[in-house]
Amino acid sequence: MSGGPPKALPSTGPQSLRDMPHPLAGSSSEEAVGGDSTPSPDLLTARSFGDKDLILPNGGTPAGTASPASSSSLLNRLQLDDDVDGETRDLFVTVDDPKKHVCTMETYITYRITTKSTRVEFDLPEYSVRRRYQDFDWLRNKLEESQPTHLIPPLPEKFVVKGVVDRFSEEFVETRRKALDKFLKRITDHPVLSFNEHFNVFLTAKDLNAHKKQGMALLTRVGESVKHVAGGYKLRSRPLEFAAIGEYLDTFALKLGTIDRIAQRIIKEEIEYLVELREYGPVYSTWSALEGELAEPLEGVSACIGSCSAALEELTDDTTEDFLPVLREYILYSDSMKSVLKKRDHVQAEYEAKLEAVALRKEERPKVPADVEKCQDRMECFNADLKADMERWQNNKRQDFRQLLMGMADKNIQYYEKCLMAWESIIPLLQEKQEDK
Amino acid sequence: MTESNFSLKKIEISVSEAEKRTGRNAMNMQETYTAYLIETRSVEHSDGQSVLTDSLWRRCSAFEWLRNYLLVYYPHIVVPPLPEKRAEFVWHKLSADNMDPDFVERRRIGLENFLLRLASHPILCRDKIFYLFLTQEGNWKETVNETGFQLKADSRLKALNATFRVKNPDKRFIELKHYSDELQSVISHLLRVRARVADRLYGVYKVHGNYGRVFSEWSAIEKEMGDGLQSAGHHMDVYASSIDDILEDEEHYADQLKEYLFYAEALRAVCRKHELMQYDLEMAAQDLASKKQQCEELATGGELFSIWVCGIIITNLKTFSLKGVTTQLFGQETPEQREARIKMLEEQIKEGEQQLKSKNLEGREFVKNAWADIERFKEQKNHDLKEALISYAVMQISMCKKGIQVWTNAKECFSKM
Repeated sequence: MSGGPPKALPSTGPQSLRDMPHPLAGSSSEEAVGGDSTPSPDLLTARSFGDKDLILPNGGTPAGTASPASSSSLLNRLQLDDDVDGETRDLFVTVDDPKKHVCTMETYITYRITTKSTRVEFDLPEYSVRRRYQDFDWLRNKLEESQPTHLIPPLPEKFVVKGVVDRFSEEFVETRRKALDKFLKRITDHPVLSFNEHFNVFLTAKDLNAHKKQGMALLTRVGESVKHVAGGYKLRSRPLEFAAIGEYLDTFALKLGTIDRIAQRIIKEEIEYLVELREYGPVYSTWSALEGELAEPLEGVSACIGSCSAALEELTDDTTEDFLPVLREYILYSDSMKSVLKKRDHVQAEYEAKLEAVALRKEERPKVPADVEKCQDRMECFNADLKADMERWQNNKRQDFRQLLMGMADKNIQYYEKCLMAWESIIPLLQEKQEDK
Repeated sequence: MTESNFSLKKIEISVSEAEKRTGRNAMNMQETYTAYLIETRSVEHSDGQSVLTDSLWRRCSAFEWLRNYLLVYYPHIVVPPLPEKRAEFVWHKLSADNMDPDFVERRRIGLENFLLRLASHPILCRDKIFYLFLTQEGNWKETVNETGFQLKADSRLKALNATFRVKNPDKRFIELKHYSDELQSVISHLLRVRARVADRLYGVYKVHGNYGRVFSEWSAIEKEMGDGLQSAGHHMDVYASSIDDILEDEEHYADQLKEYLFYAEALRAVCRKHELMQYDLEMAAQDLASKKQQCEELATGGELFSIWVCGIIITNLKTFSLKGVTTQLFGQETPEQREARIKMLEEQIKEGEQQLKSKNLEGREFVKNAWADIERFKEQKNHDLKEALISYAVMQISMCKKGIQVWTNAKECFSKM
């Protein structure tokens, strides 16, 4: 899988940083940057000591404005463009074909995961495995453990209140399938996460349970150290940009929550409207039975109202199945992002505390001790990853919401078009006999 | 304007204003009522221009008097109904308050429609009281009263009695009564459900208004998405407020249905009149028959004597006495008295036969005329209701087009996010 040195971060690409061209060194950089050799910000900053001078675009000192973080985000930006192009894509994952399994102990659904890739990390060009929800859950946990500095996409909600929703209904399964597909695609699109070994195992292993039992896989040094950060380090202040992100996420989640409530209310009102329409239409039919000349027109109106009712039902179903789940996914996303922000805060707090301790010791040594430098590494690494992921997230969010809201508008347009057609078609019927007279 | 001009129907009637007034009623108590301004214009043949010929104020009760008068004097006509006094079949936003300006306005239109119906009716338009209603400001009520129409009205009880006891009403009237019952029931149901539908539709549209506010708030924290969200939110506000006009237009459709709901009652009134006349006829025939029988019995007393005697003896077996028998047979009468009775009966029978003849004639005339007006009414109803359905469909089409427009605009805003 990884061709790098044994202690390298599993999420890094195989190439050493020194072999890579400067990010701003012309068009050839894109080819090197794209494809197999995806440089990871982790790689850049983990080897920051000697390499800083090489990678800084401005050629300045690391303490200046040109921090490792900015160059890594620059690389990531270039990376993102490639992803958007789709031409240099080398990994495709799809979730489909849900199947119900009935066993003695339980009943559950599995989904087929199809993977196509030219990456060297994959032994075969194509894989097809079956996974169930708890496998996805395992994958997400593993990713969170092994990539604590990155934003891991959310999974659809685990628990479903029994009796309220049928876990095995077609609509529920389809909604879940779409969300799981989205989850894997987001990981696939991520330059770091997509190379994660757990992800690879998830996509390829015939028997995932055997792998699960193997115990924890390699953890990154960063991961380990982040996990073992004890409490007690209090953060003095979040840097402005992260504070801004935190505030943004809070308001964002709030607004999404409001939109979710509004959408639910609309669905409720539409259903009640539908109930009344279902009584309204047939009354015209009853009336039609009493009449002679008016019978056909009245029956026509009744049929029209019936068509509108059917169209309305489709609209409410679509809103429930397509609109609401995506909203909720983003609320979950922002929640998990906030917890990553907090972890970052802890790392910064540890670094600041250690730094302070050194300063208090009043040693003459100009060089800072190794462990403090490691803390600084960790913090800067984290900050870089997080910033890069935030930008990626913002872009994806914009696209996702553009698509979601345009879809909502589309469904409403389709509903009105169906009703319009129904009513326009009976005008000639209503006018017909009048001309005969 | 003379009466002859009037009946040529080259006039325009409008109920142009409604005014709230207070005054003292018959019991010298303060009351508030609405008065309506009725303007009549005659249309000049040459240039089609109209000249105001009459203008007067009438209150609601005057309209009711006019209609009640017409019901009495034209029982064979399906008399156009008045608009409702109290707002019924309302959906929540409409006020059920009778003094509410929207309701008063719809009432004004309804009363105007009533007068126009009268003016376009081939028979009713010629009525003098109707003409005076439009032209005679003072003393109109007294004039109507003088016709004595209130006394001539059939009592409800009498009508009910006839409905239950009539034996041979015209089949067509039975069917018509059945139809008007069903029509009333189905239109009531329709109006009730329509009001609920309107309520729910209002809710759907208005909730969308909340999107406007939240999109605006959300746009404040976004950079590139902000503009698109903000302008889309504006369209959501437009969508939410569009329902008010839509539902106001629909009220007009509901009013058209209501008119025919009340027309069902007018149809029933004609059927009731027929039943009453028919019952009257049947009673007169029965009365005549029994008188004839009585006469026969008295006249042919001797021949049937023996039969009667047996009958009477049988009934008097317990207390047989000759005196008792003779008393029963002849009462305390003398033969002269009996003769007088027979003569009286014969006169009554003669009168009765004449009455029956004229009643029969009346009845047939009534059926003929009533049926002619009913046919006219049927055509009017089919035409009007078809028009109403067309205008309803047009309203729905307009609503759909507005919806498509708004969501298309919103979609464009979203695409710019």
